[in-house]
Amino acid sequence: MSDKMVVDIGKALTSEKINSINEEKIIIATENLNFYYVADKPALIDVNIAIPEKKVTAFIGPSGCGKSTLLRCFNRMNDLIPDIKVHGKILIDGDDIHSNNIRLEDLRKKVGMVFQRSNPFPMSIYENVAFGPKVNGENSKSELDAVVESSLVQADLWREVKDRLNDSALDLSGGQQQRLCIARALANKPDIILMDEPASALDPISTGKIEETIEELRGNYTVVIVTHNMQQAARVSDYTAFMMVGELVEFNDTRSLFTNPNKKLTEEYITGRFG
Amino acid sequence: MKKGNEDFIKKGDPYILLTSMGLVFTLTMVFVLLGIILVNGLGIFWPSDLYEVKLSDNRVLIGEKWATDLKKSQGEADITRSQLKIGNRDIYGFDFAWFQDKEVESIVANPELVLIERYEYGNFYGYIESLHTESNIYDKSSENFVDKILVTLSMVDDLKEEFVDKRKEHTDLLSPLNEIRRGSSLLKMNEEYLSSDEKELLSEYEQQEKDFLESNNHDIVIIENEISDLDKRINEFFITVRTGDGIEKEIHLKDIVRFHQPNIMNVFSKTIHYLAKVWEFVYDGPRESNTEGGVFPAIFGTVMMVILMSILVVPFGVLTALYLNEYAKQGPIIRMIRLSVNNLAGVPSIVYGIFGLGFFVYMIGGSIDSLFFADKLPEPTLGTGGILWASVTLALLTLPVVVVATEEGILAVPKANKEGALALGATKWQMIKDIVLPNAMPGILTGLILAISRGAGEVAPLMITGVVKLAPAMPFDMEFPFLHLDRKFMHLGFHIYDVGFQSPNVEAAMPMVYSTALLLIVIVVLLNIFSIYLRNQLKKKYKTSSF
Ligand SMILES: Nc1ncnc2c1ncn2[C@@H]1O[C@H](COP(=O)(O)OP(=O)(O)OP(=O)(O)O)[C@@H](O)[C@H]1O
Ligand SMILES: [Mg+2]
Repeated sequence: MSDKMVVDIGKALTSEKINSINEEKIIIATENLNFYYVADKPALIDVNIAIPEKKVTAFIGPSGCGKSTLLRCFNRMNDLIPDIKVHGKILIDGDDIHSNNIRLEDLRKKVGMVFQRSNPFPMSIYENVAFGPKVNGENSKSELDAVVESSLVQADLWREVKDRLNDSALDLSGGQQQRLCIARALANKPDIILMDEPASALDPISTGKIEETIEELRGNYTVVIVTHNMQQAARVSDYTAFMMVGELVEFNDTRSLFTNPNKKLTEEYITGRFG
Repeated sequence: MKKGNEDFIKKGDPYILLTSMGLVFTLTMVFVLLGIILVNGLGIFWPSDLYEVKLSDNRVLIGEKWATDLKKSQGEADITRSQLKIGNRDIYGFDFAWFQDKEVESIVANPELVLIERYEYGNFYGYIESLHTESNIYDKSSENFVDKILVTLSMVDDLKEEFVDKRKEHTDLLSPLNEIRRGSSLLKMNEEYLSSDEKELLSEYEQQEKDFLESNNHDIVIIENEISDLDKRINEFFITVRTGDGIEKEIHLKDIVRFHQPNIMNVFSKTIHYLAKVWEFVYDGPRESNTEGGVFPAIFGTVMMVILMSILVVPFGVLTALYLNEYAKQGPIIRMIRLSVNNLAGVPSIVYGIFGLGFFVYMIGGSIDSLFFADKLPEPTLGTGGILWASVTLALLTLPVVVVATEEGILAVPKANKEGALALGATKWQMIKDIVLPNAMPGILTGLILAISRGAGEVAPLMITGVVKLAPAMPFDMEFPFLHLDRKFMHLGFHIYDVGFQSPNVEAAMPMVYSTALLLIVIVVLLNIFSIYLRNQLKKKYKTSSF
C-alpha cells in the first residue's frame, strides 16, 4: 500500500475508478470536508476518508483533534450546534447527506450512534429499546417485541434483563446501560453504528463486554468507533484513521497502521512519544 | 477576651444567630396567623352557654358572652365592661349590648334559655312559651314539650318542600304561556308601527294565549288552590316566645332553621350540634346577606375558577416555555422576552383585573355578543363579567409563574437524553413529546402549584371580572349545557372581604370571616397537596440518570 494511495483515496471516490481499499466496498466517504464551529477556525481540514462497509473502523488521535466532530458529521448531530459551517461533501451509500432529498430522520435511523456516556431514557428497558422503531412508525406489538429481543440479544444484554424488561433502565449498572444504548441503536436496524468512546467511562470488565459486542457486530454492521485506547483500537478494528489538529493524517488497515505506519507523526503517536 | 471576640466574629456566629432569628420570627408569624384563624374559625360553631343578666337599671339581657374589656380611667376606679350577643334584631334593632360589670345584679345560666336560629333577623334568645299547631295549643309545661316542637318543625319542613314542588309544577305548567306572552309583549311595545304581517302574528299570539288558558284552566286553578292551601297550612304553625324583659312574640315554624338549649346540652349533643353547623357551613348557601348559613357556592366557585384557570394556564405556559427553550433562536430578543415574562409576575393584580375587564369582558366578550348573541342585546351574555373571564384573567396573571417553572423543568432535562432521541431518528417534536415533556413534568407541576396558590388567593382582579356577593345560580348545574361559563360566581376570598367589611352587621359576621378564611386556606392547601403528590409520583418515575 503506497503512501499516495492512502492520501488520495477519498479524492478519487467520485471518479468511480477506485471505490475500495483492499477491494472493500465503501459506505461512507468524505470529499474535502472542512468543518467550522466558529468562522476562521476549522475543526476539520480537508478530510478525505473512505470507510469500508461492514468493517470496524477506529478513529484515533490526540484530544481535541476532531475525532468526535468527524464522527458526528456522519449523522449530522453537529446540526444541533448553532452557527456551524460545513464545506465539502459527505457521501453515504453514494448519496450526499446534505442534499435536500435526504430526510434527517431517515439518515439518523440508518446511521445509529452510541455516546461516550450512556444515556438511557428514564423509561423501562423495553421502552428504551423500542423507542427508535416507535418514532420511526413501528406500532405492532409483536413486531416491537421481536425487535427488542433480537436487539438485546445482539448487544449481549438479553440474558441479564429478560426478566425485568419493565424495570427502569436507570436501575441498570453503567456497563449494562451502555450495552442497552447499543441495543437501542441496533433496534433501528441501522447500516452504520457510530460509537464515540463507548467504553471510556467503564471499568475493564464492562469494557471487555462492549468489545465483545462490537466483535459480534462485525460483518453485519459498519462500526465507526472513536477511542483513546490504542490497544482497544488494535483489538477491535479492521481499519484505523489517525487524526491530528483537524487533519486526517493516515488511514489504513489496522495492522499496517500499527506495525508499519507511513507517516512519521503516526509512528510517533502510536509509540507514545507524544499525545 | 479580645481574641475570643475575634474568633466569635470570624466563625460567623453572629450571622448564624441572625439567620436563625429570622427563621424563628417567620415561623412565629405563620403559627400566630394560623392559630388565630384556627381558634376563631373553628370555635364559632360550638354552642356556648346562654346567660340571663339582670342589671341595676332593671334591664334584663339574654345572650352569649362575646367580649370583655377594661377601660382605664384616670383617678377613678377602672371600669370593666362586658359584651353580650343578644340577638333579637327584630325587637332591639341591634345584635350586641354592652354593660358595666358593676351594674350587674345577677347572672344566671337558666336551663330553659333557648337559642333559635331564624331565616330572617338572626338569632332569637329567650324562652319558648307555647306551641300552636293546626289543631292544638301546647303550653311549655306540657309533656315532652321540646320534642313536640322538634317533631312539628320537621313536619313543617316537609310541608315547605311540598310547597316548593308545587310552585315548580306551577311554573312548568305556565312556561309555554310565558313564551307566548314574551312574543306578544315585544310586538305590543310598538303597536302603532306594526306591519300587517306583524299584526297577524300578534293576533295569532293572542289566539294562542286564549287557547292555552282555555285548555289548561282546570289544571291551573287546581294547582293554584293547592298552593294557597299549603301556604295557609304552613302559616298555622308557630311558637310564642318571650324575651328577657318580657316582650312576647310569635315566630312561625317556617322561619326557624333550628333551635337548641345550650345550657342543658351535654358534650355529646353539643358535638352533634357542632357537626351539623359545620356541615351547614360547608354544604349550604348563605343567608342573611352572607352573615349566616354556609358558603358552599363560594367554595364551588373558588374551586371551579381555579380548575378553569389551571386548564387555561398550563397549556399556554408550557407551550410558551417550550417555544422559548426549544424552538426560538437564543439571542438578545429571546432574552428580552424572557425578562419581560419574568417581570410580568410583579405587575399588581388589579392591573390584570382592569386589563381583563377592558380586553376580555368589553372587547372580546362584547364582540362575541354582537356576533352570536345579538338577539339578546342590550342584555349582555359574555360581554359582562363571568367565571370564564375571571379565569382567563387569572390565567394571564399566573402565566409567568408557569412559564418560569416549566422553563426550569425543561432546562433540567439532560442534553444527552435529547441528543439520544434525535440520534435515533426522532423528529424534534417527537423528542419534545417523548423526552422533554415527561421529564419537565415535575417542573410544570411546580408551576401549577405556584399558580394555584397565587390564583386561589387573588381577589382584586376578580371583583371587576365576575365575582358577586350572591350569585343567583352556580356556574355548573344540571341544566343544559351544564357548564355556564357566562355566569357570575361567588369566591371565598371575596366572600371574606364582603362579609367582613361590607356587611350591614360586621360584628355579628366576624366569626364567619375567620371560618371562611380557614376554609380558603384549607382548600388551597388541599389543592397543593394534590399537585405535590402528583409531582412526587412523576419525580419517582422520571428520576434523572445518575451514574
Ligand atoms: N460545540 C463546540 N463549539 C466550539 N468548538 C468546539 C465544539 N465542540 C468541539 N469544539 C472544538 O473542536 C475541536 C475538535 O473537538 P472534538 O470534540 O472533535 O475533539 P476530539 O478529538 O473528539 O477530542 P477528545 O478526544 O478529547 O474527545 C476542539 O478544538 C474543540 O475545542
Ligand atoms: Mg471526543
